[in-house]
This record gives sequence, C-alpha cells and structure tokens, in this order.
Amino acid sequence: MLRRKPLLPILGLLLVGALLYRPRRRPTARRVFVEGMEAVAAHIREGRFQRGLSLVAGLSSILAGADVASEHYRGSYNQKIMWSPVVLSGAMTVAGVWGAFSTWAARTVLRWTSLATLIDGVVGFGFHIRGIARKPGGWRLPVANIIMGPPIFAPLLFGVAAYLGLVASYLRPEESPVIDPRTKAARLRDFLLRRPPPAWRVELREGRFQKHLAAVTMLSTFFSGFEALYSHYKTNFKYKAQWTPVIMTPLLMGAAGASMKSARVARTWLPGLSLLAMLNGGVGFFYHMRGVLRRPGGLKQLPYNLIYGPPAFAPLLFAACGFYGVLASLMRRETD
Amino acid sequence: MESDPARLPVDAEGKPLVPRPQPGYYPKFSTLSQQAFWDAATRTVVLQRVTAPPPVRFFTAPEAEIIQRVIEHVLPQDDRVPERQIPILPFIDERLFAGRTPGYRFEDMPPDGEAYRLFLRAVDLMALEAHGAQFLRLPWHEADVLLQSVHDGKPSGAQDIWKKLPVKHFWTIMMGDCVEAYYAHPWAWDEIGFGGPAYPRAYFRLEGGAPEPWESHERHYAWDLPPGCVSGEHEAEAAHTDTPTHGETGSH
Amino acid sequence: MSFLDTPVGGAFRALQDDDHHLGPMQRITGTMRCFRDDEEVDYLVVGVGSAGGVLCQRLARGGFKVVGMEAGRFWDSERDWVSDEAGSHGLYWEDPRVIGGTDPLTLGANNCGKGVGGGSVHWAAFAPRFHPSDFEVYTRDGVGADWPISYQDLKPYYELLELEMPVAGPAWYPWGDPHGYAYGPHPMGEVGNTLIRGCTKLGIGVSVGGPVAILSGSRGDRAHCIYRGFCIQACKVGAKASTLITHVPDALVHGAEVRDRCMAARIELGKNNRVAGVHYFDREGKARFQRAKAVIVSGYAIETPRLLLNSACPEYPQGLANSSGTVGKYLMAQAGNVIAGRFDELIRMYKAPPAHCLTEEFYETDPKRDFARGFAIQTVGPLPIAFAKQMMAAKGVWGWGLRRTMMDYNHWCALGLLGEILPWEDNAVTISATDKDQFGLPVAHVTFNLHDNDKKLIAYGKNVVMDVMCAAGAEEVVQESRCAHLVGAARMGSDPATSVVDGFGRTHDIANLFVCDGSVMPTQGSANPGLTIQALAARTADYLISQGTAIFNTDRRDMTPPPVRRELSPPGTHGDGVPRLK
Repeated sequence: MLRRKPLLPILGLLLVGALLYRPRRRPTARRVFVEGMEAVAAHIREGRFQRGLSLVAGLSSILAGADVASEHYRGSYNQKIMWSPVVLSGAMTVAGVWGAFSTWAARTVLRWTSLATLIDGVVGFGFHIRGIARKPGGWRLPVANIIMGPPIFAPLLFGVAAYLGLVASYLRPEESPVIDPRTKAARLRDFLLRRPPPAWRVELREGRFQKHLAAVTMLSTFFSGFEALYSHYKTNFKYKAQWTPVIMTPLLMGAAGASMKSARVARTWLPGLSLLAMLNGGVGFFYHMRGVLRRPGGLKQLPYNLIYGPPAFAPLLFAACGFYGVLASLMRRETD
Repeated sequence: MESDPARLPVDAEGKPLVPRPQPGYYPKFSTLSQQAFWDAATRTVVLQRVTAPPPVRFFTAPEAEIIQRVIEHVLPQDDRVPERQIPILPFIDERLFAGRTPGYRFEDMPPDGEAYRLFLRAVDLMALEAHGAQFLRLPWHEADVLLQSVHDGKPSGAQDIWKKLPVKHFWTIMMGDCVEAYYAHPWAWDEIGFGGPAYPRAYFRLEGGAPEPWESHERHYAWDLPPGCVSGEHEAEAAHTDTPTHGETGSH
Repeated sequence: MSFLDTPVGGAFRALQDDDHHLGPMQRITGTMRCFRDDEEVDYLVVGVGSAGGVLCQRLARGGFKVVGMEAGRFWDSERDWVSDEAGSHGLYWEDPRVIGGTDPLTLGANNCGKGVGGGSVHWAAFAPRFHPSDFEVYTRDGVGADWPISYQDLKPYYELLELEMPVAGPAWYPWGDPHGYAYGPHPMGEVGNTLIRGCTKLGIGVSVGGPVAILSGSRGDRAHCIYRGFCIQACKVGAKASTLITHVPDALVHGAEVRDRCMAARIELGKNNRVAGVHYFDREGKARFQRAKAVIVSGYAIETPRLLLNSACPEYPQGLANSSGTVGKYLMAQAGNVIAGRFDELIRMYKAPPAHCLTEEFYETDPKRDFARGFAIQTVGPLPIAFAKQMMAAKGVWGWGLRRTMMDYNHWCALGLLGEILPWEDNAVTISATDKDQFGLPVAHVTFNLHDNDKKLIAYGKNVVMDVMCAAGAEEVVQESRCAHLVGAARMGSDPATSVVDGFGRTHDIANLFVCDGSVMPTQGSANPGLTIQALAARTADYLISQGTAIFNTDRRDMTPPPVRRELSPPGTHGDGVPRLK
C-alpha cells in the first residue's frame, strides 16, 4: 500500500510534513514521521501543497543556478544570453521562497518567473543545438560535438525545474479546505463570464494530474539520463558505477510512460524506480564530490576542480527526476 | 629487403620477434582508417606522403645507396615487413633538392647538401681506413660501430673531412631529417599510438591517457633490442637532479 | 554505428567556394584596398605579424593610409594549413640564416613565423603579462637594463589586448600585478594534470587552464577550442588568437592594405634625414619601391635588425638608425629547457593544447639563489617529430634505442622551463658576409652565448622542473637544453647612445622611422613575449594617432603619453566574458 504509506526520504517533504504536523497525542519520533508523511501525501493528493512545492522549486533553483553558472563559466559567458538562466534561477529562488510564505506571490510572481524560466530553457535548447552546429564539423560529428559542445538537453532539464514552480502556482495552499477551495473572486468571475474554469486548472488545483506529471518525469529522465550517458562515455565508463544512471534511465522512463496508461504502474513501479533513482542520484553526488577532491590539486584547486571535475549537481538533477516520479505517484489521476 | 634474424628485436626469451606489418604496442590501431574525419587539405598532404614519396633527385645513385644504408642503421626498420617499411631517403633528398633549410645553418657547417656529401665521403673513408672496404661492404655490426663513433662525436677516422664538418651538428641535422620523415608517416603514428590529424574532429578524452573510441588500448609485450646492436640504450642524461646542463646546446 | 565510423554525410571534402577562410566560419569579406607604389601612404608597416597586425588595424581605424608588407603568404586557414607536423614548414621562417656563438640559437620552427599573422600563427599562445619588476631590472638587480616605460604605462594595453585576443585564464592570477581573466580557464590535459600534481606535492602554486590566448567560449565567427594539440601547426579551428584572425580582418575593413609575399629589401633614406619608403621584391620577384610618409619596421628580432643593417647608406654607414651601434645587439632568447618524464601510466600528451597550465612561483629574483631574475614552468606537448628530436638530445638515443623510446611516446610527459636570459652585447644579429637569400640580400648572422647568470639560472631552474616531474611520479626524468622565443636587438631606451628607439618605438636617429615588435624589448622577464609585443604595438598606435600628422611634418619628439583608445578595438571585443576581478 505504497499509496497510503509512502516513505519518502526527502528533505523538502519532511520539512513540509513537520510544518503541518499538529501533535494530538504524546509524539514519538516514528509517529511524527508516519503521520507527517500521511499528511503530506494527503495534501499532495488533494493539490494542497502550494507552499511546499514553491519552497522545493525555490531551493532546487539554487542547485540549478549553481550548475548553469559553472557550466556557462566554462563557456566564458561569451554570449550575453548565457547570463539569463543564472539571473532567472536567482529570481526563481526568491519567487519560490516568497511563494512558500505568500499565496499571492505563488500565484503571480512565481507563476510568471517560472514561465519565463521555462521559455528560457526552450530558447537555450535552441542555442545549444546551434552551438553544436557551430563546432568544427558541426552535426556531421554528432558524437564528438555533443560531448564537447554545449550540453544539449541541459537547458530543457533546467526548464523542467521551472515547471515545478509553474505547477506550484496553480495549486492550493496547504491550509485550504479539502473541498471547493476556490476563492469568492474566482467564483464571481466565473459566474459573470458564464464560463466554468478550464478543466486542467481544476485538475491541478485538486491534485488530479498524475499522467501529466508522469510524462514530465519521463521527459526529464531522458534529458538527465542522456547527459549521464555521454558524459560518462566521455570518461570511458572508468568506474562500473557510471553505468547505473544510464541503466536506470530507460527503466524509469518506461515506468513513467506506463504510468500514463496504467494506474497500477503509477502506484507500484513508478515510485519504486523513482526512489531508486533518487538513491542513485544521492550516491552519484557523493562519488562526484569524491571525484572532485581526487583531481590533481584536490582541495588546493577546489574552485577549478568543482567547475572542471565531475559535475557535482548533475546526479542531484537525476535524483530530481526521481522526485518528480514520486510526486506523480502520489497524485490522483486526471478525470477521463 | 629480407631481415637478418640477428638484426631483429627479441622477446623475453631472446627469440627474434617476427617482423610485423605494424610494430609497437597498439595492434590494429590505424590512423589512416580515420581519414574521413580529416579535413581535405590535411588528407591530401598525408596521403601524398604515403602513396607517392618524392623521387630521388639530389643524390646520385651510388650516393643514395650509401645514405640508404646509413638510414637503415640510424633508424632501423627490420621489425617491419618490407612492404610496410617507411621511406626516409626520398624525403631527405627532396629537402636537399629543393634547397630548403631548417631555418638556419651553423656558421662552421657547410650548406646541408654539401654536408651530406662530405658525410658520405667520410663514412666510406672511415670504412676504408678501418676495414679496408667500402662502407657498403662492411658487415652489419662493423657499420653500426662506425656510425656509433659518429653519434658519439668521436668519428673513428676521416679526420680531415670532419674538420670541415662539425660532427655533432651534422649528426643532429641528419637524425632530425630521419625522424622528420619516419614520424611523419601514419604507420609510425600507429606504431606509437599517436592519434594523427585532428581536425575537424579532435579529442574528448583529454585526461588520464584514456583512448578515444577510435584509438586503441596499449598492449605491452616483451620487446628487447636486437642482441649486439650498439644503438641501444643510453645513460639517461639526468636521472637525478644535480647533473650539469646537457652539452647538446646545438640542438636548441 | 555508421556515425562513429565516418562523419555524417561522408568524408570531409575540399571546399568548393572561392572564399578566403580564416577558420571554419570566419571569412575575409569585401575587397581589399590597394595602393599604388607611387602613392605616398601614411604608414608602411614592414612585417604583418603580432605587432604589425595590431598596428595596421589601429592605424587604419585611426584614419591613416596603411600598407602592411609581409614576406610570407596571406593564409587561408582551410586550404593552406594542415593538421600535420611535417606539413607545416611553410608557417616558419626557414629562409637561410647563419647561427653561431657558444650556444647557437636554432631558428625556424622554434621561434620565427612567416606569413600574415607571423609568429602569432604558430605560437603556443601562452599569454602571461610581464611583471612590474621586468621594467626595472637594472634598478632592482643591477643587471640587464631598465625600460624607458613602466608596467603602469603598459597595463591598460595588457587589459585591452587580453580582451581583444581574448586570453582565457583563471579568475584570479596571483603573480606579478595580480589580476583576473574575462574568459574562463580551459580543461586540463594530462600534461597539465602532471604539473598540478607535482607542484601541489611540493607546495608550489600553479595557474590552471591559462593564461592562454585560446577561446574557452566561441566568439563571433570563431569557434571554441577543440583540444586537438596542433597549436604550433596553426589553429585551423580559429580558437587560438593570431593577428591574422583577430586584427587583420578589421584592418582590411578600415582600408588597410596587406601586401603579402613581398620581401622588404632596403629602407630608403630621403631628404632631411627622413625615410622616404621601402624597396622591396614583389611576389613575382620584381624590385619595386613603395613611398611612405613614415615606416614602421615590425620584422621581429632577426629580420628587423637585418633590414636596418641592410639599409646602411652614406649617412648611416653602420646601418640605418644605428648611430648608437646597438642595432642587432642585446638579442635575447629565453631558456626553454624541455624536461620529459616517463610515467607508468599513459599520458598521451598530444591531446589538449600544448599550453594549458603554468607556474610563475619562481619568476622574481630570490636573494637566496646565486643568480638574478627567475623562471616559469609551463606545459608543453611535443608531437612525435618534435619529441623524437628532444629525446635524441636528452637521452642521446639513436637507432633501436630511439625506436624503443618512441614506442613509449604515450607514457611521456613534457614540461618546459621558461627562464630569463639577460641582454648581453655580444648576443647579436649581424649581416653575413658570405650568405645571401633567394633575393640576393645578405642574410642574418646570429651569434648567441650564454653567460654566467644565465647558466646558473638554467641549472637551477631545470632542477626545479625535474623535482616537480619526480614529485608527480615520473620514474625516469631527462631534459634537453634549448631556447625559446626571441626578443631584443633594437632595444628601446631613454639614452640614444645605448638604445635604438624611444619608449614609443621611434628611432632616436630618424623621426619618421619606427620599430615596433619584440626587438624593442630591453629585457624579457620569463613570460612569453606575445602578449607584450601586441600591447606595445597598441600603445605605439595610440601614440601615433594622438600625434596626428606631426609625425609626417616635423622632427619634434613629443613624449606625452597618449590616451588609451578602447574604441579602436576590433568589433566584439568589449562586453564579452565574465566581469574580471581587477
């Protein structure tokens, strides 16, 4: 019964759980945890987790920002537009944290910032494709130039993180009542315009977008997994463990894809493999950091080694794909 | 030419290694197989080198015979099957024929073409003085020893000629010409595991000596000098740190 | 998979267009302005290399009529250059020259370029600045000479040229006048990793990934470095800066003419102690004369003195602008010992640019050592032919010994010492009494002797590099003594009796004759001279522009420092890259 008692070892959700928890009986650590998790799961199921997701989006933007800042430093910021994701990720952090405290900010600032970041990701994808084309040999040398050129799917992966913020902006805050939480203003507007709110909006607000999120999980896993594939290939798979994200990728993509058809897969395989991906990302992060320290110069060349060693945040971005999968498994399915 | 087994490098047991199409530790590695990835200008230059070495025009036929024999000693290729031996003489000849310099002439040296001719006279004279035979008639080992004395800067004879031809400078120039021809050849690149031309495609495994997907892993095997060869190992000039500056300042 | 075996769409074919290519994307567009011989141009720049390229670009932007005369070819990078060691001789000045002295300097591939872009086409592109101390060596150490200008005079031009090339390097460079770079550092090859390992173990600071004038991010029509290691064979990628691709295209856009395959023979002294133009041989070998209001000689440390000495005339019997007798003297090279280490592990030093990591920890005079000045340690990545020659010198190998050593090529790693050799009067360029070149012009005779301080510095420095190599884990370490770079031989100074030109490159003797290239340097530090040569050229150009027509009309010598003209940079220079720290 994963759906009822998911054990999610993830900081963001724990944090939200702890915030939401109101002790009725003498709390034991285990009870705090289990009840917190149940509360979190219920909130997710019902779409009442705007503050939590805003916070996650905001905090994860710090990682995404650090990643893109160091990657673009490697490219020397030779075009001004390379600053845009760095600036936007900073804005996303502010908007996300703000959105955790203010529903208004979540519905406005976070929504538009996320949208801009998402668009930036898509535009960046175009630039990265162009960047590969402009390397000697261009797309006639796909292997060499994808590996040595701008990371092709990184901007889209960056966009997926922004997508979280966008979703958060349409959710309901945690304290909303379970049933019909729509504001008076919205109801008045719908009444005046004689138009019901669009279905996707209702579904988002009610946490009924499992298939949608599964699709996003599939896509982002592909983006992240492809990066793992070529950058591990670049180092000739020196360590056997470098195969794990490459193997995990089709599995998780398969589970996410199947979840769009099958509610059962969404309850079983999807969370299982997603948790594994998160674990894999966590372990990967550790190994990448170790790799950074093991580079020539080690700690004495730390800034250089962080930028040019194994990318510290890449495994965490893979873990984030697992997080999307877990989130998807907790959602309700769209009404057909 | 056929290889004399006594002139072949040997394995761990001292048995001669059979000549191969490709010596070295990178079996099956072929830079030429990658030529589709090279730019057209480079491919033209390299293929020209492989398929159409220049004709010998500077040296006369008898001179060419002697210099060819010298080359076989100073840059031996007995470990290569005959059809995969790398031509060296044509490239030296071409430079001298065109009158190209490496960018300088030592003040105490004659021009390069003249220097080569003096050298050819010197080796013949040295052979006559020591063995009463022309250089080409010397047994392999004796010729090796004769050239060793030139390498050492203490030629064993023909002192009148060496007065006009500073021996160290000439050795540097001649050996430079030889390696310039040998290690310019794709077969030599395959032998030593060098990747060859690298544009528009270059490398992505820059660190740790890792091979590109199209390069080969190194496979070491026992390889030792032919027994009795004199052009073998030399004392490393500065294995530790307090030896004086190397005397070979002429080869900056 | 097929895309692993051949490029998509088959092998790369020869270009079908008639464009003049300067890399895979960059092209020369438009038609070049051409001046007639009898048209009196404002500036005739002899030699379009590191300095000449910058001068032509600046002066053309300043509105002057400029002709750059170059003995070599105006390269098309796609057609003329090859990714091949033996096929690259055309890049180097291999015309006849005579060398001598106790430590003869081998010229050619090692240090002399030919063709538009000059040495900047085949340099490894290390681009460190000189240290402030380099400009006052005599004052500080009692050896060598002082410059007539200070580091502060040149600093704005260092900053400018570091953006124009641009130079990639660490965000913070601690030696000399500390500063940062606007373009990020490069990834390491295994040679750089070896230097880092060795230095870290010995507690020596090391600069990772630069400073090197190679793009670490594409810029305009120039591509990002692809780490192919053929820098010295000219960069087909267009990532490595050369004035051919950074300044000459902009010079042409602004109306300069670059007249290639024209060999300057003699500078003509006209009336009133002013030069009138240059006699030269055109590409058909025909003798011609180009009139000019002023002449700038930018032929580098051998050809500049040779041209001045070959231009001797009744007024200047020992060579034009040589009343001091110092033309040709105080020639310098840097100690460039190559230290090679054999490792159990594979290195494959042909990958990554030869220049990607260095240390200047030993740059300054240290009273604890028994010699003045210092040295740097830099990565070098010799390709097979160069490495075979180095091994023959370092190990004395030949025959089978050579073959055996070379079979281990991929196990060897090479580091370079770059040591300061002081200026000595007896290290000189003179005119050969016997040898003539293909035009019948007497060739240069270059005498070079190492002196006591130089020998002590080299002996000490090479030991330090060997220690580094051992600390990095080499099981066998050998070294070859050699020299790198050439500067001096027409040095600048404030005293006309002991120098050839003033602080702006104007000859003391003749008011409209200038020298601007590496030969004006009174001392050289242990930094690669390329950046400083270009910075000096930009400063001279600013001076000439600020002087306007005064150069052409009067002999008055105005030594007012010119304003720094950032607006003369080639397009796309400013606003790129990371904001630089200091």
